[in-house]
Amino acid sequence: MKIAVCVKHAIDEAELKVDAGGTPQFAGAASKMSTFDKNAVEEALRLKGTHSGDVTLLTVGTAEAKKTMKEALAMGADRGVLVAVDPMSIDTGRTAELLAAAAKKAGPFDLVLCSEGSSDIYSGLVPPMLGELLGLPYVGYAKKIEVTGQSAKVERSLEDSVEVVEASLPLVVSIVSEINEPRYPTLIQIMQAGKKPIEEVTPESILPGSKPATPQFVGMKAQAMARKKLVFEGPPEETAKKLVDALASEGVIPR
Amino acid sequence: MAFRNYLRDLRTIKSLPKSARPKAPILAIYSAEHRRLMGIFHSSRHEEYEELLSSLGSFMEEEILPLSPKIDVGEAKIAGPRKALFEQGMCQIPFPEEYGGLGLPFTVYANAVELLGTADASVALSVEIHNAVAEGLNRFGSADQKQKYLPSLLSGKSLASFTLTEPASGSDAGTMATTATRKGGEYSIKGSKMFITNAGEADLYMVFAKTDVGPSCFLVGANAPGLSFGGDLKKMGMKGSRTSEVVFDDCRVPEENLVGEEGKGADYAKEILHGARIIVAALNVGIAQIAYDKSLAYARSRRAFGKPISEFQLTREKIADMKTGISAGRLLYFYASSVKESGADFSSEASQAKVFATEMSLKVCDAAIQIYGGYGYTSDELHRHWRDARLLTIGEGTSEVLRLLIARREMARSQ
Repeated sequence: MKIAVCVKHAIDEAELKVDAGGTPQFAGAASKMSTFDKNAVEEALRLKGTHSGDVTLLTVGTAEAKKTMKEALAMGADRGVLVAVDPMSIDTGRTAELLAAAAKKAGPFDLVLCSEGSSDIYSGLVPPMLGELLGLPYVGYAKKIEVTGQSAKVERSLEDSVEVVEASLPLVVSIVSEINEPRYPTLIQIMQAGKKPIEEVTPESILPGSKPATPQFVGMKAQAMARKKLVFEGPPEETAKKLVDALASEGVIPR
Repeated sequence: MAFRNYLRDLRTIKSLPKSARPKAPILAIYSAEHRRLMGIFHSSRHEEYEELLSSLGSFMEEEILPLSPKIDVGEAKIAGPRKALFEQGMCQIPFPEEYGGLGLPFTVYANAVELLGTADASVALSVEIHNAVAEGLNRFGSADQKQKYLPSLLSGKSLASFTLTEPASGSDAGTMATTATRKGGEYSIKGSKMFITNAGEADLYMVFAKTDVGPSCFLVGANAPGLSFGGDLKKMGMKGSRTSEVVFDDCRVPEENLVGEEGKGADYAKEILHGARIIVAALNVGIAQIAYDKSLAYARSRRAFGKPISEFQLTREKIADMKTGISAGRLLYFYASSVKESGADFSSEASQAKVFATEMSLKVCDAAIQIYGGYGYTSDELHRHWRDARLLTIGEGTSEVLRLLIARREMARSQ
């Protein structure tokens, strides 16, 4: 079974600082493998363990992204393809185009796995776009994947229900983090990961002649959360009622 | 990230009212300071080492650190996290690849133990002792002994224990009362050892006993006839690691279990302990680091006279002294590790690192209790670090004996 996993070298959202004006400071920000991509890699490795085959990483990023790829290679992926471009300079559609072109070049694959969204931007748009661009069925928000022969049974984790669907391979699937617990690579695996191949390609070499959209980055602000700081005073039977009324009026609980 | 979550979880300390609970600072077990130092001491391959240590640090944050408070009060055992750590490759770091090691510098191993000391001191102590035996075998064992024991020790499939101290002898190992008498093709060991870490849990014991020509070193399997163990000693700290008496009642071991030469045991023990002292220094820097991190977070959130206590000069003096001590201790064990790696005599440097780091760690943990005030005195979550640190100005060479060693060595060097 040939599996591709899309992994992103993302900004570490937990370390991102915001200036006094509310603007995130991307310059010099710490980076890491996008959190949920570890689950996607883990699922690919689990399926590889069950069905044999190999796992290829697909990444759009700068040379810095090799750190993330190496981490996934240490977990057990076999090889990687890095499309060398600054992901901050392109939009989501272009990212999907480049990943699709990389998948066509390195494939064909029976399964292309993505996480539901990157932990920094979290648009969640790339996986369905990828399905469309590759001409493959797409199943989103998988919390369980079972592959039998040439079909996959997928449990989709929706907001208030679980939907079970079957789809034929090849297939694009996005996963949610509850699907598994990512493994830790051992020290020896980390040391050996450096010997696994990462093929570096340019956008021009895999998508010759295509012109990317040129999005203009206008700005980004951290959302300020204003606290209401309501204090209810009085005996408990009165304050409890006031609290319930206040929560109901905010729509937190039903009236 | 998990470390921050852990510090946030300190809010669950029952004895602390909400207003007194610390806010989480932004930091990780494996920090920028470690990276900088590795860049200085191993400039050519530091990125590779940083990657390994960063991964190991994340593993410790997720899998060991959250268990640490439970280990202290007996609600969790160290065997599980220790095994998981072995599987990650913690013990393989400084040993040759031919025995399943990673062939990495001692500095990398020392740094890993510092991180483990931050995650949980008693797991770190157990691992440190285990690896001291592996170090002794690697240096003084025969080719057959290395082939037989090292792969399973380095992978953690078996656990080791170092038995030198006796009820009536410690650093003066030459006066040991335990004897080993050759009888045919085997030795009969008689006597007892005291305060032995990993005793009763270990599969392999490195035992020092007197033969006709002086102290000698033996390997004793856990199933050897005549080997028994006392109960788990009640300690003030390091509660996760098992410590007890080991009794040899005509314990028979085959002669091929003699390590090196008869009569050289005291020299081997000294050599092994020199390396172990660097590791104990690193462990104590790790303990001091977590006590410091917690008290810094607390000082920022605890208010007195209308402002955080971190705004008061006398609190700041403590913070400055704590941080300076930690940085100096870290530098000393990095330096001692680099001298060891160079092949030069490092006994003085190792002892300097141990004396300084263990005493510094106690001061830092004491200052942390002071900053936490009544909550520091009444909360296991904080004073356990002081209780853990307290062992190591005694164990593996007291501060008093090591000061004598440093002075003797430096006077000899200056002649």
